[in-house]
Amino acid sequence: MTGRFPLMRLALQRRRRMIVALAVGIAVFEALIVVITTTVTPGQIFGAGGRQPPGVFRAFSGSNGDVSIASYPGLLGAGLTHPFWIALQLTAVGSLAAAAVAADVEAGTIELLMVRPVSRARLLAERTAALVLVSLLLNVAATLAVSVGVALAPNLRDAVPQSGVYAAGLLGFGFALCLTGPALAVSAAGRSRARVVGTTIALGAAGFAVNFIAMAWAKAAPLRFISPFHYYTPGDALAYGAVPWGQFAVLVGVGAAGVLLAFGLVARRDLAP
Amino acid sequence: MGERTRNVIDIVSLTKRYGRTVGVEGLDIGVGEGEVFGFLGPNGAGKTTTMRCLVGLLRPTAGRVRVLGRDPFSEHLRLAPSLGYLPGELRLYPELTGRETLRLLAALQGAPARLQDELCERLSLSGADLDRTVRAYSRGMKQKLGLVQALQHEPELVILDEPTEGLDPLVQETFYALLAEVRAAGRTVLLSSHVLPEVQRTCERVAIVRAGRLVTVGSVAALREARARKVRLTFADGLGRRPLGAADRWSPAWHGDQAVLMIPPDRTVAALRELLALPVRDLTVEEAGLDEAFLDLYRNGMVVRTGPDDQNNQNNRNRGTPP
Repeated sequence: MTGRFPLMRLALQRRRRMIVALAVGIAVFEALIVVITTTVTPGQIFGAGGRQPPGVFRAFSGSNGDVSIASYPGLLGAGLTHPFWIALQLTAVGSLAAAAVAADVEAGTIELLMVRPVSRARLLAERTAALVLVSLLLNVAATLAVSVGVALAPNLRDAVPQSGVYAAGLLGFGFALCLTGPALAVSAAGRSRARVVGTTIALGAAGFAVNFIAMAWAKAAPLRFISPFHYYTPGDALAYGAVPWGQFAVLVGVGAAGVLLAFGLVARRDLAP
Repeated sequence: MGERTRNVIDIVSLTKRYGRTVGVEGLDIGVGEGEVFGFLGPNGAGKTTTMRCLVGLLRPTAGRVRVLGRDPFSEHLRLAPSLGYLPGELRLYPELTGRETLRLLAALQGAPARLQDELCERLSLSGADLDRTVRAYSRGMKQKLGLVQALQHEPELVILDEPTEGLDPLVQETFYALLAEVRAAGRTVLLSSHVLPEVQRTCERVAIVRAGRLVTVGSVAALREARARKVRLTFADGLGRRPLGAADRWSPAWHGDQAVLMIPPDRTVAALRELLALPVRDLTVEEAGLDEAFLDLYRNGMVVRTGPDDQNNQNNRNRGTPP
């Protein structure tokens, strides 16, 4: 940690086991989803007398359009909006965001760091970089697992374009960035890692619930715009093979706004346990 | 302190509140260049809050703080290269080794840690110690590491919060020697402590704070002059505890027929005249120990005149000139 970016390296080194476990876990989970998906024949998916699951189930396939969970893109999309996948993403974002400022304040180690010629902006920038790198790693791991699976399975290869897999991966990264901003803002203002992790989990859970309710209940439909899951639509990306840039921009924009807020908050606050 | 040329630390009407809780209120302290200055007070008195304001971790609610002529909060990046700081409750990353910790902190300091090896050797931190994770360190070893990181880059101003906590007597001696060397090099030290002989030994002047307010500031010698008289009275009638009239204000401690009072020096004669009207069998008057004098200040918030030096300081500050 004597080279460049020691604060970023410190955050990564201290959580290296968790990061490796999350990356392996997310890759294995997506591989399992692919394996399970390949065991479903087209007849089974589109059979059952033409009956389809209710439209609200699109929330579980990661679609705002017409991608049903009873389709290959829908099934793979379900793997990218599955509570387990979301939990892994939230764990990474919450933990690394907490490590940005709040954990050091809570532990008291902030005193040793910040009495040196280290600006508060640098502290947050290096810690944000650590979080972005980990989010990128997790989404690359998930994307590669799906990509390899799709390439190896003939029935998936015909139904899901590789460009769709990478578009879904990019959206997943955007989703993580979207949560990163608010989580960092909470960390920049707070002094408890539990609060940061809790807030991150609450944001993710509430976002999913709001999107689900908005899709299930017409009167609540306008609420979907405040949920990140309205913009994070891996099912659509997998089906159409393209990045919905507008939605990606919203996800990244929310994340960037949160990061900017975090910089403002950390510049003004007291940094002591 | 007549040779002081400028104040390295200038605290004027410093107030720091945490919501409704007062950390410090209206604090005025000046510390001159090359001075070893003691900062005394009971737990919760505001010492650590003041020190954190000095190193830019806390932003004052009101008042002005200048360290080496700079605002510690807004000019942190310019000030920090000249600071060495040991927190009162030293917290380290438990999974890093001692060596990794020192390297990390030196890298963040951005200055060569020329004294690192020498300090480790003098403070008895061996290579094997440095290769162990901090998790396995005792309180004393952590404190040694804390001293090394505070001093290794030869800072112009050293701020030490309870520096000898957990150090064994031998290492304490080494610490005092290091402090003397820092002072001899013309650098400035602000040191908070509960260990009064340590303050007496190392500091020229002290400030005493209580409940966030300054009780007194002055030279250690002047405080010793101003300390209370310890009056011990033994009564002849065997009636034990009784009212002592006006002398009850000095909160006598009773042991059977014996009462012990701490009376300010300028009130001792008048108090004795009154007390000797009682059936006293034996009487002793002695100077209170320095410990007792400080404790009395802690308890009563008694303001002690400590000599012209501090009045000059205040006047100079009011005129906007250095003392």
